[in-house]
Amino acid sequence: MRTAIWRHFDFWLLGAVAVLITFGIAMIRSTIAGNAELIELDILGRQITYSLAGFVVILIAASVDYRLWISVSRILYVVIALLLLVIILFGGTEAFGAQRWLNIGLVIIQPSELAKITMIIILADYFARNRERVKDLAFIGRSIALTMGLVVLILLQPNLSTSIVLMTVWFALLWASGLELKHLAFFALAILLVVAIGFPFLEDYQQQRVINFIFPDPEARFGSNYNVTQALISIGSGGWLGQGYGQSSQVQLRFLKVRHNDFIFSAISAEFGLIGALAVLGLLFFVIWRCVRAAQLSQDAFGALVAYGVAVIIALHTIVNVGMNIQLLPVTGLPLPFISAGGSSLLTFMFGIGLVESVVARHRALNFS
Amino acid sequence: MSGITQTSNKIPLDAWRLFAFIGVIAAVFVLFTARLFYLQILEHDNWLRQAEENRTEEISLPPQRGVIYDRNGMILARNEASYNVTVTPAFLPDDAAEIEEIVVQLAALTGTPVTLGSIDEPLIPCGDNLGVREMIAIQTSFSPFSPVLIECNVPRELALSVAERSVDWPGVGVQVEPIREYPTGDMTASIIGYLGPIPAAQEVELRALGFVPNRDKIGYGGLELYFDEILRGTPGSRVVETDVGGQVLRDIEAPVDPIAGQNIVLTIDTRLQEAATSILKNEILSWNQYFNEIRMTSGAAIAMDPRTGEILAMVSWPSYENNRFARFIPAYYYDQLTQDATHPLVNNAVGAELPAGSVFKLVTAVGALNEGVVSPDQVIQTPGKITVTERFFEGETGRDREFVDWNEAGFGSLNFLGGLANSSNVYFYKLGGGYQDEVPEGLGVCRLVTYAEALGYNAPLGIEQPYETIGLVPDPTWKRINQGENWSTGDTYIASVGQGFVLASPLQVLMSAATIANDGVQMRPTLLYQIVDGEGNILQDFVPEERWDITQDPLIKEYENPSGIGACRETGELKTVEPWVIETVQQGMRGAVQFGTLAREFANVTIAAAGKTGTAEYCDETAFALGKCVYGNWPSHAWTVAYAPYDDPEIVIVAFVYNGNEGATVAGPIGRKILEAYFEIKAVDAAAAEGQ
Repeated sequence: MRTAIWRHFDFWLLGAVAVLITFGIAMIRSTIAGNAELIELDILGRQITYSLAGFVVILIAASVDYRLWISVSRILYVVIALLLLVIILFGGTEAFGAQRWLNIGLVIIQPSELAKITMIIILADYFARNRERVKDLAFIGRSIALTMGLVVLILLQPNLSTSIVLMTVWFALLWASGLELKHLAFFALAILLVVAIGFPFLEDYQQQRVINFIFPDPEARFGSNYNVTQALISIGSGGWLGQGYGQSSQVQLRFLKVRHNDFIFSAISAEFGLIGALAVLGLLFFVIWRCVRAAQLSQDAFGALVAYGVAVIIALHTIVNVGMNIQLLPVTGLPLPFISAGGSSLLTFMFGIGLVESVVARHRALNFS
Repeated sequence: MSGITQTSNKIPLDAWRLFAFIGVIAAVFVLFTARLFYLQILEHDNWLRQAEENRTEEISLPPQRGVIYDRNGMILARNEASYNVTVTPAFLPDDAAEIEEIVVQLAALTGTPVTLGSIDEPLIPCGDNLGVREMIAIQTSFSPFSPVLIECNVPRELALSVAERSVDWPGVGVQVEPIREYPTGDMTASIIGYLGPIPAAQEVELRALGFVPNRDKIGYGGLELYFDEILRGTPGSRVVETDVGGQVLRDIEAPVDPIAGQNIVLTIDTRLQEAATSILKNEILSWNQYFNEIRMTSGAAIAMDPRTGEILAMVSWPSYENNRFARFIPAYYYDQLTQDATHPLVNNAVGAELPAGSVFKLVTAVGALNEGVVSPDQVIQTPGKITVTERFFEGETGRDREFVDWNEAGFGSLNFLGGLANSSNVYFYKLGGGYQDEVPEGLGVCRLVTYAEALGYNAPLGIEQPYETIGLVPDPTWKRINQGENWSTGDTYIASVGQGFVLASPLQVLMSAATIANDGVQMRPTLLYQIVDGEGNILQDFVPEERWDITQDPLIKEYENPSGIGACRETGELKTVEPWVIETVQQGMRGAVQFGTLAREFANVTIAAAGKTGTAEYCDETAFALGKCVYGNWPSHAWTVAYAPYDDPEIVIVAFVYNGNEGATVAGPIGRKILEAYFEIKAVDAAAAEGQ
C-alpha cells in the first residue's frame, strides 16, 4: 500500500504548486521592498514559514486516506461554526474592518478559511452518498441548508467573498453530482433574485465596491478606484516582458496598493510583462487541470468530488482575483492562490492539494476486484 | 467507511460535467489572456506614460527675490525665513485612530486647539477660527494632496521639533516660507509697495515662467510692482522621481537652479525720508491739535537733487504698514485702507491730482516774460480785485466778472519781482488774461499750456512708480469736449493762477521748480540708483537723464491766436525760453524768501533759499460732502516749493498739505524743515568723510 501511494503521487501537481509558491515568495519580496511597515510585520518570513509548513501539510494529507476525513468532517463543521460564533459574539482581531481572525496564542487562524475545505468534504460526502437522489429538489434543499449553516455565520462577520466561495462550492459540487439542466435554470434565476434582494443588506463598503465597479468615478484620485486604476497602470506598463524584477516604478514606489496581497498579479504583470502573467495563469490552469484529472481518476465519487471541489476553489480564487486586477470584476478580498501573501489561505490551498494527492495516490487504474 | 452508501459512492461522476467545468475555466482564462494582451500590448504606451507621470514630478524652485536698498546701503526690503506647520491629509495614515493621535499631539505641540468652530466656516490661511481637526476635515474634502497650514510663523525650535517627528507622523510637515520684510515699514511703504498672491489674471503667464500660485508672490504696489520683473528672478526646476507619498527620491534630469532676483539700490536717503516723514506728520498733527479738529487729513513731500533728478525722499502721509501684508493680505485691513478717504494705499506724491494754485504761477511767470507780455521792470497796479468782461465767444458783449486777490487789501504797484515774491493774484490775472491798456495782450490759455508742458505739467514724468498721474492743464478744446462749453476769458484768468481746471501731482509741481532751479534743464526724476547682483556687482549704474533744456530745446509752440479763447491753432514754429527769463523767475522765487510770502517762515534760515507758495482752493467730494464748498470761501490746500542754495541749487523740495488752508504757514515750515534736515545730514556726512 505504502509504495502504491507514492507510485501514483502526482509530482507534476506538487511541482507546479512549488513553482507557484516560490515565485510568489520572490514577488512578495519585490513588493514589500522599501516598505518599512510590511518589513516590520515580516510578511516575507511568515510566508516562507507557512509555505514550509504547507508542504508538510501536503505530505501528511497525501499519506492519510482521504476517506478518513469524512468521520471528522461533522466535528469540524460544528467546531468551525462555534469558532465563527465566538468571533461574532466576542470579537476577533479586526483587520480591514472585518472580524475574521481568531488569535489563538501564537497562531492567528482564520476559521472562514478552514470552512472552505470543511465545506468541500461535508458536501462531497453528502452528494456522494446520495447520487441517485440528486434529481430530488428536497435533497437539494437539504444541501442548501447544510451550506447556509456556515455561510450565514460568515456573512455576519461580515465576509462576503468567503460566503460566495462556499456558495460556489455548493453549486459546483451539485453540478458535478448530476444537477438536472432544468434545475440549473431554476437556480440561475434564484441566484439573480438573491443578489437583487440581498444587495441592500450588504455593508456600505461592500455596496460601494460594487457601485464603483459598475459606475466608476473617472475623477477619483484616491480610494477604491484609485487602487484599481493603479493596478491597470501597473499591468499596462509591463508590456511584453515587463520592467524587470524589482524594477517597476508602480510597485517599487508603492503607487500600486495592497501589492503583496490582493494586487500581486498586477505586480507580476508589471515586472514580468504579458509573458510572466500568462506563465502564472498557465501554471494555475495546470494545477486546476491536475485536480480535475485526479477527480476523473478517483476510485469513488467522494474522492472525485473532493478533488473537483479543490479545483473549484482554486479556479474561483484565481478568476475573481485576476478579474479584479484587470478590472473585469469588482474589488473583493480573495487572494491569488499560492502567490498572494497570507498564511491562512496558503495553508488552506496546500491542504486542498494534499487532499487531491491523497485521492490521486489511491486511485486504482487497473482495479479488477 | 462509515456513513457512505457504497453503491451510491461507486457511481462515477459524469465526465462531460468535469469537461464542461474545465471548458468554462479555459474560456475565462482565454478572456483574461485577451484582456491582458489588450492592456499590456495594445494600450502599453498609454499606461506606461501614466506610470511615468506617477513617478515623475516637476518641482519649481522659487528664486530669491531681490533686496531693495537705499542709497547708503540700508535695507528697505528683504526676505526672512518663516516656518509653517502643515498637514497634507492624503498622506496621513489610513487608520482613524492613528490620525487622531497625530491631531492631538500636533495640537498640543503647536498650541492650536484640537477642535474649534465648524467645517462650514471658511478655511483662512493661518487663521485661528478653526481647530486642527476641522482644518484637516475641510482640506480633505477640498484638496487632500495640498498641505493645509495648521500654524504659521512658528519659532524655529518648534519647527525643528515638528520636522523631527514628521517621520512618525506621515502627512505632517514644516514649510519654510520666505516672508518679505520691510525694516522701514510705513515710512517707505508708499514708495516700496507690497507683495500679494499671483492673481488669476496673471496665473497662466506666470506659470509659464515657472512661478507657482499660492506659493510665489508678486509686487502689488510701489517699486515691488514697478520693478517686479527685475526683483522676482527666474525660478529653477527639478524633474524628480517621487514615491506614492510624494517623497522625492532622486533627480531624473539635471536640476536647473533658480536665479535670484536682482537687487535694487534706490536714490532715497532713508535719513532724509525719516526726517521728512516726521516733519510732515508732526506739522499736520500739531495744526490739527491747534484747531482741535482733524482738519488736515493728508500730505505729501518730495526732496530731489535738481541737477540729477535723484529723489532723496518721497513721503505720502498717511501711509500703511506693508509688513502686515507680509504673509497674506488681511481682508479687514485692506478694506479699511481702501475705504479710507485719504487713500493711504495711493502714493499721493506721484498719484494724486490736485489743484496746483499759486505754485502754478511759475508757469505764467516764465511764459509772460518769454513772450514779452510784461517786462521785468514794468509796474502793474494790483488792487484787491479787478473786474473784467467774461466772454465765451470772440466779440461777444459779455458780462462783468470780479476776480479777487487772496490779499483783499491789494499790493499796490508791483514790478515782476514784487508780483512773484508776493504771489499777487491780480498781477498774474493781468499777465495771463491781459488787462485794458496796462497789459494789452495777455499770455493766453494756449501759450499757458505750452509753457506748463515745458516745465513738466500735463504728462507723466516717468518716475518708477505705478499709477503715476497725468495731471491736467486745460485748453479750449479740452473744455469743449469734457465740459461741453466754450472756453471763456475768465477761464484764462483762473488758469493763470493755477486754479479752475488745473490739476497736478506734487511731483509735477516739484519738477517745475526744479527746472527753474537747474537753469532750465529738466532731469528725469528717478528713484532708481543702481541695479546690483547678489555679489554686489553693479549691473546698471546711475546715469542722470536729461529730459530737456528749455533754453536749448525748442519746446515752446507758437500759436496763430496766442491770446484767443478759441481752439489753439499752432503755427508749427517752435522756440526756446530765454535764459534771462529763467534767471528773473529765480530772482522772484528768491524774493519770496527774502521779502515775500515765505519771508517770515525762512527768516532764520542761514542757507540762501528760493521758493514759491501756493494756496489752492478746492472743492472735491469730501469737501462737498462736508458742505465746505461755499462760493468765494472754498477750502484750500497748502503748497510750498523751495530750493537751495540759491546760487548752485542741489536740493529742491515740495510740500503739500491737504486742506492745509494756507501755503506759507502750513506747507512753508515743512519745506523749510526738510531743507534744514537735508543740510544737516550733508554736514554729518561731510564730517564723517573728513574723519576718515
